[in-house]
Amino acid sequence: MSLLTNVMDHSLDEGYAEAAAARGGDHDSRIPRTARGLLTLGAGLALAAAVVTVGAVNAHKAEPTLAKERDALIHRINDSNGSADHLQQQVQELRRKVESTQQQALATGDGDQGGLTGAVGLGEVTGPGVKLVLEDATGTGSGGNVDPRAGQGFSNSGRLRDRDLQLVVNGLWGSGAEALAINGQRLTALSAIRAAGEAVLVDNRPLVPPYTIQAIGDGPKLLGTFENAMAGQYLRLLQEKYGIKSTMSTQKSLTLPAAVGVTLRIAQPVTPEASPSVSPSAAPTTPAATSSSTAGTSESPGASVSPSGSTGRRTPSGSAKPSTAHSSTTTSTRSSSAGTGAARP
Amino acid sequence: MIAVLGLVIGVVVGLFVQPELPDAVVPYLPIAVVAALDAVFGGVRAMLDGIFNDKVFIVSFLSNVVVAALIVFLGDQLGVGSQLSTGVVVVLGIRIFSNAAAIRRHVFRA
Repeated sequence: MSLLTNVMDHSLDEGYAEAAAARGGDHDSRIPRTARGLLTLGAGLALAAAVVTVGAVNAHKAEPTLAKERDALIHRINDSNGSADHLQQQVQELRRKVESTQQQALATGDGDQGGLTGAVGLGEVTGPGVKLVLEDATGTGSGGNVDPRAGQGFSNSGRLRDRDLQLVVNGLWGSGAEALAINGQRLTALSAIRAAGEAVLVDNRPLVPPYTIQAIGDGPKLLGTFENAMAGQYLRLLQEKYGIKSTMSTQKSLTLPAAVGVTLRIAQPVTPEASPSVSPSAAPTTPAATSSSTAGTSESPGASVSPSGSTGRRTPSGSAKPSTAHSSTTTSTRSSSAGTGAARP
Repeated sequence: MIAVLGLVIGVVVGLFVQPELPDAVVPYLPIAVVAALDAVFGGVRAMLDGIFNDKVFIVSFLSNVVVAALIVFLGDQLGVGSQLSTGVVVVLGIRIFSNAAAIRRHVFRA
């Protein structure tokens, strides 16, 4: 506060008082009398006025350019906003169009096919289910920080492999799961779970551990069936022998996203009366009538992509008998061939 | 008389000559303007107090402008230019206000 008080109290330059005291007691010299004093005063005032005027002129000159720049920027922002809005609108329009076309295409068959998108993985689905989290054993350097040349890939390490995931996924399908997603990526009948180098790919997209598998189905029942089935025993074996952690929990509500890059095609019966191509009573995971995918999802069967040197490890012991009943429930030819091929020791 | 003449000459010079300021000086112009105003108000108040001195006026004017610009320049070099110019404007603004208040008391007796 003393600083402010000081500024307030000594607003007048102290030089004036000193000069006046030095000059003597005559305190009524308002304007200098001498010619030199007058000239000095005039020059000083002229200088002050010039500085203020130049400042004002400068500010005035700078104003239009600043305003122009600002206007240009505002213009650009508005333009970009407008085009973004336009594009957004276009996206929505196209999305609507796609959806309506899809619905139209589906409606050409019988009415029930509209509800098929959820079951085959082309639509978002929500429901109760099971969450299964698989994690590599500790100290295996999961993720991308492994030197791809240093290790022997997956072999004999505590890392989860593509075929483990295939087995688990097949086990879940077999236990009555209606929809599956790994790390938020929806699995369809054409999804391929493969390995490339150090990474596990689902539909050619690399996954980052921990692997979270979401399965929609009758939670407790699904869990029980899965744990008693071969896949569940296999998981326990993995945990015992390799330290791969797996945690399962039932969930009240899961939302699985739609699969991307897959187009839905409907097989038309040659004679419409003879046999409907899709029977709603069939297992909902059986996309018998549907399917087709973009390139790359099913080019190579699982066996050919297994990294070398990985065969012969982690053979399930006799307790975990391969069950043909489970693997056969996966209906897609390609992905089930990958799945069943991997499931057998 | 000569005071008014000086003011008019200054304004005319500023308006018509329109000196091209070097870019290095431009940031300090607003501060210089505030310092000049402070000196002018101080001078007017001293005049009304009856203790005006032309030499003190000129010297205080020039030194205020130079010191204010110097402080801001130093602040710019240190990276706190805007804060320091705010400080200069606050101090000079308080001085201008209290000098203006003193002038008002002299002129209107209130």
